[in-house]
Amino acid sequence: MKGLDTFMIYGPYEKTLHLVMDQIVKELSDYNDKIKEKTGDGIYEHLLARVKSEDSMLEKCTRKGVPQTPESALRFMTDSIGLRVITRFRDDIYQIIDYVKTLPGVSVREEKDYIRHAKPNGYRSYHMILDREVPYKDIDGQNPGHYYIEIQLRTIAMDSWASLEHQLKYKKDIKNPELIGQELKRCADELAGCDLSMQTIRNLMREEI
Amino acid sequence: MRILLAEDEDQLSRAVAAVLRHMNYEVDVAPNGQVAADLAAQNRYDCMVLDIMMPVMDGIEALKKIRSSGDVTPVIMLTAKSEVTDRVAGLDAGADDYLTKPFAIAELAARIRSQARRQDSYTPKVLSAGNVRLDISVSELKAENSVRLSQKEMDLMELFMLNMGKSLTTAQILDKVWKDDQTTEEEVVWMYISYLKSKLDAVSANLVIDGEKGGPYRLEEGAWKRS
Repeated sequence: MKGLDTFMIYGPYEKTLHLVMDQIVKELSDYNDKIKEKTGDGIYEHLLARVKSEDSMLEKCTRKGVPQTPESALRFMTDSIGLRVITRFRDDIYQIIDYVKTLPGVSVREEKDYIRHAKPNGYRSYHMILDREVPYKDIDGQNPGHYYIEIQLRTIAMDSWASLEHQLKYKKDIKNPELIGQELKRCADELAGCDLSMQTIRNLMREEI
Repeated sequence: MRILLAEDEDQLSRAVAAVLRHMNYEVDVAPNGQVAADLAAQNRYDCMVLDIMMPVMDGIEALKKIRSSGDVTPVIMLTAKSEVTDRVAGLDAGADDYLTKPFAIAELAARIRSQARRQDSYTPKVLSAGNVRLDISVSELKAENSVRLSQKEMDLMELFMLNMGKSLTTAQILDKVWKDDQTTEEEVVWMYISYLKSKLDAVSANLVIDGEKGGPYRLEEGAWKRS
């Protein structure tokens, strides 16, 4: 087992990062179970959570031109704790967002709705940065302390697109990048159309019952 | 502009073709209906002028053959003055206009221009209303955000945008958008209305489709509401 000393970038706060992450994962997982009991379907399809690795955080500090210190990692950066929640339907995303905002100690520092306002390349996802008050000491010496949590929410279709686009983005020597860009955008808009149709079908079915 | 002229009277045919060419039209000439149908199958024309009385295959038979291949190019029929039945038969077979002989070539040219205009205005590539753009050539619905539509969604949205503010009944919509499938159930219309409602909302359009299940429905300006 890797000890605390492997994640020097977070100093003595690495263990707390895991506690804060595990707490919100448990809350979301319990919420998922509750919805499943009620409707038969979970609110999300799957959920990924990670504390950003030492290497990635060190690299990001260098890239952003800040010193490689716990202060940079926990105060300048906001993604030491990252969650990705993948849903089957579009409306589930907004329902999860509403739930997250009710969690104790949570305040939203920033949120970007790239679903209603897709990025020019077609990327769709909902991004939130939370500031959470927890009963542990933070880097400023406060207790209760404050930790950032980044959450990305998207549907399976948006996630497939993001994953494929990510892979293609790093391909070198693309002959016609402009055409590929246009086609990826078209795929994103077609998938968005399907997401909305699937959502509508579910709504119509639920109205009938 | 490329015109197909089918006329068996050689002198008349040559005179009309010469005048049209002088007006910078490209003109292909057919001496009978059979040749006209063959040329129509090979080439794309902006307008076709077909005489009714022709040897081998008459103009009405040629027109039926052209239309049965799915060709919707505007067609002007040339008929003898007294023959009302010919004019009726021609229009019923899919002609867009007719001209009775004898005619002034200037009038024929004006009718050709009129048909070409109609064809252009019938198939606009992009429709706009409010902050919404519907790009028909790529099936894109766009306002602050964009999504792609399926063929039927496109047809339905186009129908609404060409009839802004007008009430459309379920029967009218079925008749226009699902004309190729008479067995379509009314339920389908509500489903497609629902798709469009959610897609208009998703692109933050300032247009909404008003109307409950069963219709009638109307596309009108209105702020989108986030549900």
